Amino acid sequence: MPLPTPAGVGTLERQERRFALALFAPAFLLLLLTTTAPLVFLAWNSLQNLDLGMPWIKGFAGLANYAKMGGDPRFWNSLSLTLVYTASTVALQVLVGLSLALLVLQIPKGQAILRVAAILPIVLAPVVVGLFWRTLVLAPDFGLVDLVTRALGLGSHNWLGDPQLALVSVIAIHTWQWTPFAFLVLLATLATLPPDVYEAARLDRASAWQRFRYITLPLIRPAVVMVVILRTMTALSAFAAIFAATGGGPGTATEILNLYAYRTSFTELNIGYGSALAMVLLAITLGVSWLLFRRRRAP
Amino acid sequence: MSQLGNVRLQGVVKRHGETTVLHGVDLEIRAGEFFVLLGPSGSGKTTTLRILAGLESVSAGQVLMDGVDVTGAEPGARDVAMVFQSYALYPHMTVAQNIGFPLKMIGTPKEAIAQAVADAAARVSIGHLLQRRPGQLSGGQQQRVALARAIVRQPKLFLLDEPLSNLDAKLRLETRLELKQLQRALGVTAVYVTHDQEEAMTLADRVAVFMDGRIVQVATPREIYSRPAQVAVAGFIGTPPMNLVPALWRDDAVVIDGVAHPVGARTPQTREVTLGVRPGELRAGGAGTEARVEYIEELGDHCIVDLKAGDTRLRLKAEGQAGVREGETIHLGFAPGAAHLFDRASGERLN
Amino acid sequence: MQRSVPRRVALFAVAGLLVSVWAFPVLWALLTSFKTERDVLAYPPVLVFAPTLANYREVLFGSSSILPNLWSSLVVSCWATVLTMLFALPAAYALARLRYPGKRASGFFVLATQMLPPVGLIIPYYLVLQRIGGLDSYSGLVTIYLTFSLPFAVWLMVSYFEDIPYEMEEAALLDRAGRLRTLWYVILPQVGGGIAVTTVFVFLNAWNEFLFAVVLGGNKVRPVTVAMFNFISVEQTQWARLAAGAMVAMAPVILVGLAAQRHIVKGLTVGAVKGGGRR
Repeated sequence: MPLPTPAGVGTLERQERRFALALFAPAFLLLLLTTTAPLVFLAWNSLQNLDLGMPWIKGFAGLANYAKMGGDPRFWNSLSLTLVYTASTVALQVLVGLSLALLVLQIPKGQAILRVAAILPIVLAPVVVGLFWRTLVLAPDFGLVDLVTRALGLGSHNWLGDPQLALVSVIAIHTWQWTPFAFLVLLATLATLPPDVYEAARLDRASAWQRFRYITLPLIRPAVVMVVILRTMTALSAFAAIFAATGGGPGTATEILNLYAYRTSFTELNIGYGSALAMVLLAITLGVSWLLFRRRRAP
Repeated sequence: MSQLGNVRLQGVVKRHGETTVLHGVDLEIRAGEFFVLLGPSGSGKTTTLRILAGLESVSAGQVLMDGVDVTGAEPGARDVAMVFQSYALYPHMTVAQNIGFPLKMIGTPKEAIAQAVADAAARVSIGHLLQRRPGQLSGGQQQRVALARAIVRQPKLFLLDEPLSNLDAKLRLETRLELKQLQRALGVTAVYVTHDQEEAMTLADRVAVFMDGRIVQVATPREIYSRPAQVAVAGFIGTPPMNLVPALWRDDAVVIDGVAHPVGARTPQTREVTLGVRPGELRAGGAGTEARVEYIEELGDHCIVDLKAGDTRLRLKAEGQAGVREGETIHLGFAPGAAHLFDRASGERLN
Repeated sequence: MQRSVPRRVALFAVAGLLVSVWAFPVLWALLTSFKTERDVLAYPPVLVFAPTLANYREVLFGSSSILPNLWSSLVVSCWATVLTMLFALPAAYALARLRYPGKRASGFFVLATQMLPPVGLIIPYYLVLQRIGGLDSYSGLVTIYLTFSLPFAVWLMVSYFEDIPYEMEEAALLDRAGRLRTLWYVILPQVGGGIAVTTVFVFLNAWNEFLFAVVLGGNKVRPVTVAMFNFISVEQTQWARLAAGAMVAMAPVILVGLAAQRHIVKGLTVGAVKGGGRR
């Protein structure tokens, strides 16, 4: 004979709920206020004609800013640069980071000093990294790189002033700064792999490459995916290092979408169009992260 | 003795979304009893314990302690102490702080805490470890700390969730006895969860056997052993477990593979049953069901013979050494009183 | 496993190369900061030279002193860190351990805010702050810093909270601690390491921030990352002074990084596996 649910049932959960909301709400509301409200404002601005350099042009523009983008070669340039920049640096970081981690795994004694060295690029401010490279590393004639190329007989080059080389340079800068992250994470992950699986594989006569491909790779996949996600987010919104190194130039040679939006808004003072550009970047970032997270779920 | 520590569960149902974990559990635990909840994993025994603790809510039904409805009460509001399977000691506090924590939470003055901690620690013989941290203790010592923390408040109800499962076999046997002695000395009602039937048999005043979210039998260990109420219980209790064979019950005998064995109980109609006979009650003799000896396990003072009769595997336990060899065919029988008959379909006991 | 000598040498060579590639720019900058401008421009580059403290003197006490900038950075970073941790800790605990309506959606929201490109925020913030006179103010800057610190801190702390076995709370509740005291006496002490790591990361990220600082700052509030550009102008770059200024600006960050490097590595891997992380 079923008994009725007594009055006490549910109070346990209710109290937990109240406590939880009390703890969570402040941060949630704060975030809501500081991010969502401004973003709504951004969206609003993207629909306006708002040019501080030409203040007489005002009023609702609808989707005119977005339409303008379609025919704006500088926009497409920035989009392709963003793609190239992000894809190259993330791929390089993972490849180099993984290779180095695999190598270093075999010299346990050297790992301590390597960790120290790896920390340095990560903790530096990107803007300082950009300046370092611009002045000390890539400066024609007395930068480190130039010294090396001159010593090797490859001559001196304008690493940041030549449009082609500039893109390569900023990719190199970003890769230099963030490869240690991939390196450290993958090294730590590799260190946790169970040795007995490898012993079993060796007994099964698997070659080193086969062991890597069929055991190591699948086991570190989650870590690699996470690194890719994080580094992609960083690369998409990379600003300070490029700004410091090239300012987006020469011309628009390193003007990724991020920088284009910034320059449009704060140098050319066309807030309306700049907002629209930022909205597009936002959409791209959210889209990419959604895609990557989905890949993370599906093995 | 007063009624302190009497626990009652009435019609307790627990659902997790679509699945029902507990189907209407009714239980009465007397004050001062050492009551064991026994069952395989997933049978609902741990859920029941946690409901008693207040760590899980009920979907329907009532929990009463000394007549008071505590179904919706917070864990801290019941006068209940629990020893977790993993001990759940606070790693950042010393042993003394761990034990004293419950008293600190109810505002006991410092001197009283110190005294109570010393007493509790003495009872479980860890007085010399008070200034250490849990991380510096062995598994057995950690378990004692957990015990001390539970008894320091002198609760009405003492809950233990498989407290011995993390100890090695030898320690387990030693600690088992100490636990029983402790409970007797304190006189507190204890509810103990385990999947180890040997543990249940040796510790319990009474046992509740859980299967698939239901209680199938509540009785003393002796009664559960000698008269299991369900075929599932029969197969669960005893080492090695009871032999269970499908058979036909006709008149006053049971037919297995064409051979009839008298069972001392009469049935008006022929019915299909599951026959249960303990390994220690099987006899190898001249007449009886044929079985082939597959393997002999010699255990020193007794042996276990693994046999195959037709398609069924059977085990026989004998004192001393086996008088048979592997590959031999022998005939099995048993005394009529040693037969447990269960309805084939429902598993209920018939005799 | 054979450890042949040439193999080991090769591995050490690679390791050595790594160390140089990663550490060298900083060491080179350090070296440069002690050179005179003339020595800097010399070719071939001088490794042995008469060191001078003139650059540091100028950068710290001279007319281009970045001390006020260090102060700006310190104030903004400290405020951002303190506020972040105050808000993030309880929120992370709730996300990690408690059940409440809308948890999944709101948790996802917190994660999503980490993905926001900063340039998207800087435009509306600039417009609003300009209108209310909030530019060049500490509160304006700290507020926008929270947009990246808070979600990051929450996600790092969630993973630390999740590492604690559930029974801790259960045992404490049974010991009559109640939810708040459980958090205070039992849970928080156990995530002390995680709190330290998170605080370090939050502080580092705030200290190193540039975009928000340069757009929303001004003459009064000018973090040290912006001040770097004092030494670069169209006409000339004051190489040695820039190096010195950068060393001073990055000194706290480097020192903390070296001191806490084991914890930082652990924090990176924790954050990477469970999600989160900026920059």
